[in-house]
Amino acid sequence: MSRTSAVLRRIGFALFGPLLAVVVALAISAVVIALIGEDPLTAFQVMVDLGDTPSQQVQSIVVILNRAVPLFLAGLAVAVAFRMGLFNIGVEGQYRLATILAAAVGAAIVLPGPLHVLVVVLVAMVVGALWAGIVGVLKVTRGVSEVISSIMLNFIALGLSSYLLTGPLRGSPPGASIITTAEIPESGRFPSLNGLLTGLGLAAPRSGLYGFLLVAAVAGVLVAVLLKRTRFGFDLRATGLSPSAAAASGVDARAMVVKTMLISGAIAGLIGLPDLLGSQFDYGTEFTAGLGFLGIAVALLGRSTPLGIALAALLFAFLDRAALPLQFADIPSSVVTIIQGTIVLAVVVANEIARRLALRSAERAGAAADAGPAGGGTGGGAPPATGPDGGRRVRTGVPDTPEDVQA
Amino acid sequence: MTTGSSSPESDAAGSAGAPLAVELRGITKRFPGVVANKDIELRVRRGEVHAVVGENGAGKSTLMKTLYGEHRPDEGQILLDGREVRFRNPSDAIAAGIGMVHQHFMLADNFTVLENVVLGSEPTRGGRLDLAEARRRITEISDRYALGLRPDDLVEDLGVGDRQRVEIAKVLYRDARTLILDEPTAVLVPQEVDELFGNLAELKREGLTVIFISHKLDEVRRVADSITVIRRGTTVGTADPRATTTKQLAEMMVGSELPLPEKRESTVRETPVLELTDVRVDDGGGRPAVDGVTMTVREGEVVGIAGVEGNGQAELVDAIMGLRPLAGGEIALAGEDVTSWSTRARREAGVGFIPEDRHRQGMLLDAPLWENRILGHQTRPPASRGVFIDRSGSRADTARIMQEYDVRAPGPDTLAVALSGGNQQKLIVGREMSATPRLLVAAHPTRGVDVGAQAAIWELLKDARAAGMAIVLISADLDELIGLSDSLYVMLRGRLVASLDPASCTPEQLGGYMTGARTEAGAA
Repeated sequence: MSRTSAVLRRIGFALFGPLLAVVVALAISAVVIALIGEDPLTAFQVMVDLGDTPSQQVQSIVVILNRAVPLFLAGLAVAVAFRMGLFNIGVEGQYRLATILAAAVGAAIVLPGPLHVLVVVLVAMVVGALWAGIVGVLKVTRGVSEVISSIMLNFIALGLSSYLLTGPLRGSPPGASIITTAEIPESGRFPSLNGLLTGLGLAAPRSGLYGFLLVAAVAGVLVAVLLKRTRFGFDLRATGLSPSAAAASGVDARAMVVKTMLISGAIAGLIGLPDLLGSQFDYGTEFTAGLGFLGIAVALLGRSTPLGIALAALLFAFLDRAALPLQFADIPSSVVTIIQGTIVLAVVVANEIARRLALRSAERAGAAADAGPAGGGTGGGAPPATGPDGGRRVRTGVPDTPEDVQA
Repeated sequence: MTTGSSSPESDAAGSAGAPLAVELRGITKRFPGVVANKDIELRVRRGEVHAVVGENGAGKSTLMKTLYGEHRPDEGQILLDGREVRFRNPSDAIAAGIGMVHQHFMLADNFTVLENVVLGSEPTRGGRLDLAEARRRITEISDRYALGLRPDDLVEDLGVGDRQRVEIAKVLYRDARTLILDEPTAVLVPQEVDELFGNLAELKREGLTVIFISHKLDEVRRVADSITVIRRGTTVGTADPRATTTKQLAEMMVGSELPLPEKRESTVRETPVLELTDVRVDDGGGRPAVDGVTMTVREGEVVGIAGVEGNGQAELVDAIMGLRPLAGGEIALAGEDVTSWSTRARREAGVGFIPEDRHRQGMLLDAPLWENRILGHQTRPPASRGVFIDRSGSRADTARIMQEYDVRAPGPDTLAVALSGGNQQKLIVGREMSATPRLLVAAHPTRGVDVGAQAAIWELLKDARAAGMAIVLISADLDELIGLSDSLYVMLRGRLVASLDPASCTPEQLGGYMTGARTEAGAA
């Protein structure tokens, strides 16, 4: 009974921060919109309007989901490192490098369908993991802050992928306005889930719902299980909560840093794949950028839990979709960026407030429990408080073998 | 507000009727679960060096933080020159003429002496830094109190003694009339100590008041005009250094009344559990923190290690737990060489650990109790099953520990941070005992817990010993050491300098060895 109430209370506090952040962000955005001479209500109306006809609405939802999938993966990659107290800012570089190499491999080989996709996915994960692994190795061998090295590696990764794109991996004809890698053949593409939508009796959308959604969902579940249910996840979280206590409990902090960066990088390697295997089929100068940085915001908003990140990714994707309709309504689409930015700022503040409230409530609960049994008699053989010297002779009902416990 | 710093400077050295420079009346300071100071009385005359002595954890630092405005007392009054003051923060204390020289220097290495001294209270003229005026004042202070500072030296080029004088100059620059020196000799070699005492004499001659925190009794007797002794958070008395011996002071410090617990029959068996052979640990700076420690702990034996904090006990514990690499020597557990084993391997082999600082090493404060049950036992049932965490198993076992070890909390899902210090410690003790380790490393197992919990933990340790557990007990509480140990070592500067029989030795003897006042040729 008290367990469920404690859990409920914790969930309440967990939701409180992000919700407060979103509300505050909306309020600030409303002020900004009003300041530039537009009507905030109209703007919000445009943003939540998904379309008039069922097919328009389905299309809008597909656009949101397709945007949410890479955001979710990016948030997940950041969050895994975050839970251990590592700030992996290098997700951006990790996914860009992983995507171009995966695209090149995917275009270079021909394999039967699922196997082809699997190879592309594995290449992306390995590249991402290795690139992130550099950060981990630098940290444990040379003591380089992961923040610094992962930012630096971002620049190297971006430079490297530009070089690869314009040089050895260039697949587009010379003179084309957009430079891309060679296109991945049909067998290497991830089938869309549109069949599922029509099967549910919904109108077929114009663009396909990324099949990679399923991969992302599996990744989310795996990360949730890994963090919450496994020894490895416990070690990881313990290190994040208190490195010194984790070390004393037998966690090898150095190995954990490398392993965590590898996992974070492997997930980061997946970020570009929904677009690559679902709609683009090649990596080019126009390929979606900035997902790694947005991932940090998404992970923050989602409080580094897979479920929270999924909700945060959906919210960010929803806001991103609204950019176009806003422009049609003659409202600057940068309103979306403003909202996203204020959410991130507000969530940092709100999380701290929520943390303090949770702490205070926990302390109250603890204090109440401490006072409770003391007043109500000694249930579990509590030693009565005696003087400092006489106390040594106090009999307690607490021998070290569980069998002879006196009730 | 404060009374300002316009105190009468004429009544220099202790004329009988003059108001006291500092008077603390009935100061009580509580932290969650602990009473750090209780009814402290301190009376410091103007122009004297007043020593405050006590063991580590006796409450000296808490008291000085109160006087320096770092926190407010829950009860009691602070009087400066006879007038009551209330400090909201250190700035108020500084404005009232109180200065603090911290044990750990707070200097910017790449700044000059001059820049370090003015940092935070830079003299300006027309909005620009007035270094000429600052230089003039620093030179004047340095000359007046014979500090021998050169304003343009870089602090990184200075030795420890000079750095300390920079700290003193910093305080004087802010017009302090009362200086608090927190363990000033801890970092000094004997020669530097002499120099410091020379400086203190200069300060005294100029009518300044010095409060000198220490536990080194010989030094205290050399330099102090009067002494206040603190034990277990409260003042036990004052002493005149000229009329008191070091031994008497030690008795006051550790408590002379000694109701030895009824000595149980020895449970020491033959089988050695832990064997240290010539164990050496570096302090990170190339000097030995643990220097050639050799000892054996047998089944059913409690080996106590006494020592003033910072003499290598923490490093020794780290070495036994595998948290710090050895510079030399060997560690064997139940006959097996574990020198190269990881912490986890050692814990799996049956080493339990009650760390000195439970918040730092013993708990995940922001995690629920059942996750704290898992900590340190990740690889063993009931905390885990294969690679997975056994959530229901550890919840159930946490509930059992809470019941058996009287951990008062709403339930296994409560966050650890919500528990009082005593309850947190009981959870840790219960957790470590539940794995029935062969060897238990207990560092200050009853520090900061209330009397009831202390008695319970003592009883648990005794029962475990009777059941054959080997225990390494490190403590600052000499009663605890003498009462629980089967054999007792004293650690000083990284070495085991004495081996005593707890059945016959007294806290005063122990204190003598701890401070180096006594030596023993036949040390183990």
